[in-house]
Amino acid sequence: MSDLEFETRLDRLFAEPPYFEDAEGFARKVESRLERGWSIRRLFIGAAGVVAGLFGASQLMGAGIFLKAAGVEASEQASMAGKVWHQVVSASSNMGALPVSPEVLWMTAALGVTALGFAITRATQEF
Amino acid sequence: MAPSRAVTGLHDVELAALAAAGDRAAFGELVRRHGSAVRGLLRRMGAQASTADDIAQDAFLTAFERIAEFRGEGAFAAWVKRIAARLYVRRWRKDSRMTEEVEADDEGHGGEISAARRIDLDEAMKSLSEQERLCVSLCYGAGLSHAEAAETIGAPLGTVKSHVKRGLDKLRLRLAPAEGAGRDAERQGHV
Repeated sequence: MSDLEFETRLDRLFAEPPYFEDAEGFARKVESRLERGWSIRRLFIGAAGVVAGLFGASQLMGAGIFLKAAGVEASEQASMAGKVWHQVVSASSNMGALPVSPEVLWMTAALGVTALGFAITRATQEF
Repeated sequence: MAPSRAVTGLHDVELAALAAAGDRAAFGELVRRHGSAVRGLLRRMGAQASTADDIAQDAFLTAFERIAEFRGEGAFAAWVKRIAARLYVRRWRKDSRMTEEVEADDEGHGGEISAARRIDLDEAMKSLSEQERLCVSLCYGAGLSHAEAAETIGAPLGTVKSHVKRGLDKLRLRLAPAEGAGRDAERQGHV
């Protein structure tokens, strides 16, 4: 047998996977380790989301936006629809007093809604 | 978790693409397809069964982490085998066994081989020294070039080449009778 023939044969022998009776068990072990890693990661992301959410909420509370919104709501009950609209518009203009511009606030809210949408989609895929 | 019907019919590259998007079932199917090949390679390299399985698991987990790097240019099995081989070499080097020049104990495996007995590759690999096994497995099992194998184990290229050559010579001796036996059996079958 020439060198080339022998090496080709050796390549072929190496390419043939041996048979393992516990092949399925091995695959399951890998999957469970993968799953464990994924769960830890998910937990981590969830915890980070909660911390970020709490931080965001505390920032909004600090800026007094909820108090202003509550004010708008109270007057809403007592006013006509046109008056309410006027109040909302004035509340929006009050946002100028916040440390961030109203556009940034709305964009943040939109991003929050989008993130929530992603989270729900992901959760439905997972469970 | 049994493989779903949706993934069993897919090609490795498609499964890898799904795995890259986070589909763990698709990756599980890849493990089912190539787990034995990776475990077999590690055992042929000289790893004990439990060590081989541990490293094979680590190799697949590493492959999942780095799945985006797999672009389907080569076979998925070859890619994972390379990862596994490198992980094994790293552990092997940590054990500082590279410096040991232990020659294979040929006597321990029985000097004379009966022509009638079929000797498979795994048995034949046992006749090689640790370094020879490693170098031959890296080059023929994991598909590394001599230069890549030298870089992986941190040995000079010439050393790797001579280990491969000596290993091949021994394998040729061990595997040749099996071929003869196969032919004999074939001849007898025709009579």
